[in-house]
Amino acid sequence: MLSVKNVSCGYGGSPVVQEMSFSVRAGEILGILGPNGCGKTTLLKALSGLLPASGEILLCQKPIKGLSRLEIAKKAALVTQLSPVSFSYTVYETVEMGRYAHRSGLFPRTGERDRQIVLESLSRTGVSELRDRPVTTLSGGQLQRVFLARAFAQEPQIILLDEPTNHLDLGFQLSLMEDLRAWVKEKERCAVGVLHDINLALRFADRILLMDQGKAAALENAGNLDLSLIDKVYQAQIQDYMKTSLELWRSC
Amino acid sequence: MSERIGTRIKIAALLLFSLGSILLSVGVGSVFISPGDTAAILWDALFHTGLPASIDPIYPDLILSLRLPRVLMAFLTGAAMALGGTVMQSVLQNPLASPYGLGISSGAGLGAAAVMVMGLSSGAVGALLLPGVSLLSGLFTVILVMGICTRLDRSMNNTAIVLVGMVFSLFLNAVMSLLATASPQHAQRINLWQLGSFSMKEWHEVVILFCAVLLCFFIFLWNSDKLDILTFGEEQAASLGVSLKSSKWLLLCAVAAVTGTAVAFVGVIGFVDLIAPHIVRRFFGSSHKRVLPACALLGGSFLTLCDLLSRTLTPPREIPIGAITALLGAPFFLYLYFVGKRRETGC
Repeated sequence: MLSVKNVSCGYGGSPVVQEMSFSVRAGEILGILGPNGCGKTTLLKALSGLLPASGEILLCQKPIKGLSRLEIAKKAALVTQLSPVSFSYTVYETVEMGRYAHRSGLFPRTGERDRQIVLESLSRTGVSELRDRPVTTLSGGQLQRVFLARAFAQEPQIILLDEPTNHLDLGFQLSLMEDLRAWVKEKERCAVGVLHDINLALRFADRILLMDQGKAAALENAGNLDLSLIDKVYQAQIQDYMKTSLELWRSC
Repeated sequence: MSERIGTRIKIAALLLFSLGSILLSVGVGSVFISPGDTAAILWDALFHTGLPASIDPIYPDLILSLRLPRVLMAFLTGAAMALGGTVMQSVLQNPLASPYGLGISSGAGLGAAAVMVMGLSSGAVGALLLPGVSLLSGLFTVILVMGICTRLDRSMNNTAIVLVGMVFSLFLNAVMSLLATASPQHAQRINLWQLGSFSMKEWHEVVILFCAVLLCFFIFLWNSDKLDILTFGEEQAASLGVSLKSSKWLLLCAVAAVTGTAVAFVGVIGFVDLIAPHIVRRFFGSSHKRVLPACALLGGSFLTLCDLLSRTLTPPREIPIGAITALLGAPFFLYLYFVGKRRETGC
């Protein structure tokens, strides 16, 4: 569904992401891990067509360079980090915006099918009861669920996520990732998520792309990841830290 | 469903309020004409049904050639500025943005001042030249501001646009003051016009502004989905399928056109563009399908009533309209903003 070949990109000057190649299959979640500044978010921007890149990015077999914003939006949705909202749309109106790319014609109208999809997306992330609440009154966790619902309503093949669980408490983090995983598995779609939390990535991603200074340090099934590589890339004793944490939990 | 009916009732109420404020403003002045008589005169002018004998034969002329153009001009200017403000705030995702803030008003103002100083503002040439030049210089300001921002930051970052716009606005105002000082014979007119005025309005000006407002209103309404999406920021808008650059250009140019035309005829008027969208969003939510029509009506009636006050409070002298809008608008806005915020957050 997504294929990346020799992709380099950056913001002028030397490229932040260098010669990256991988592909993501239907029904798969790819988690991208790596220390701050290693190019995770830059890579995700290139995948969503927001940043020009050299090399080849194929979205459902089509080169992303030739696609308009509208065509990309029908194939790939983006969930960004939690950001504040300043205009008071209702939850329903916000999720309905996911249908924008699918409405066609000079004077597009929202039909019954659009309505059904919006309602289904709302219930998938458990925000049906909030549908008439202004988004400005929601908590961070609720807001991020609304944005995931909007991505579902977009009916994409791929959902790209940029640290979607930042600033959320653990309960919301887990339910957000569970909703995403259920969608990917049931609908045979795929997701690529830049994740901050190594535990969350190991738990919810099928494969892990470990990045180091713009390059792939490892690309492995989540179960087969060489944990010593993580210590090396993050330049910290991550394994020790995790094991100490586990012992603390056990002794509680 | 019930929400949709509620919106219709609110829009209908606003429509009645607008009509009421127009009738009232047409009737009140040095001679008072009752709203009933005013309505009868307007009805007769439209459908030639004949006038009741009780109405003074001077009144129709007074209303049709003096008061009505002025009142309609005030209403249309209010609508134009309020629409411009709404679109500006959404496109730049900044609730504090306004055509005045981006330098459009000052740019259009400077263009018009230049036409005045060159002595081309009178007669039939001036009638077309003044709005034309003013519109173009408003547009030119937008292009310049956005051009500089693109140079600074390829992604047309919105904070940069607001900042550069503010700098431009101050700079252009200074140039306008210089222009006024350099040509003393025009100084009074330029100064007066910097505060805005609806006196001595002609029918052709009303017609030109009406066309501009109507055209831009439909452009905005046609793009209301995009405007909704743009409020969530550029990355999200792009990923939902909105092509950023072309949408931004179209919308901001339309804002420049509609506010530039208004500024050309009546001078620089602030505040309506900033506050009308906020008040409307408090009562109608944020969806542009509802906000745009409501904003046009509210902005229109607000400025109509402000103009009524400006000419009736201290007769025969007029208080500059800019002073009235700010005097009324500032406290009202603060009240709404803070009381509303407190109610929303519950503290």
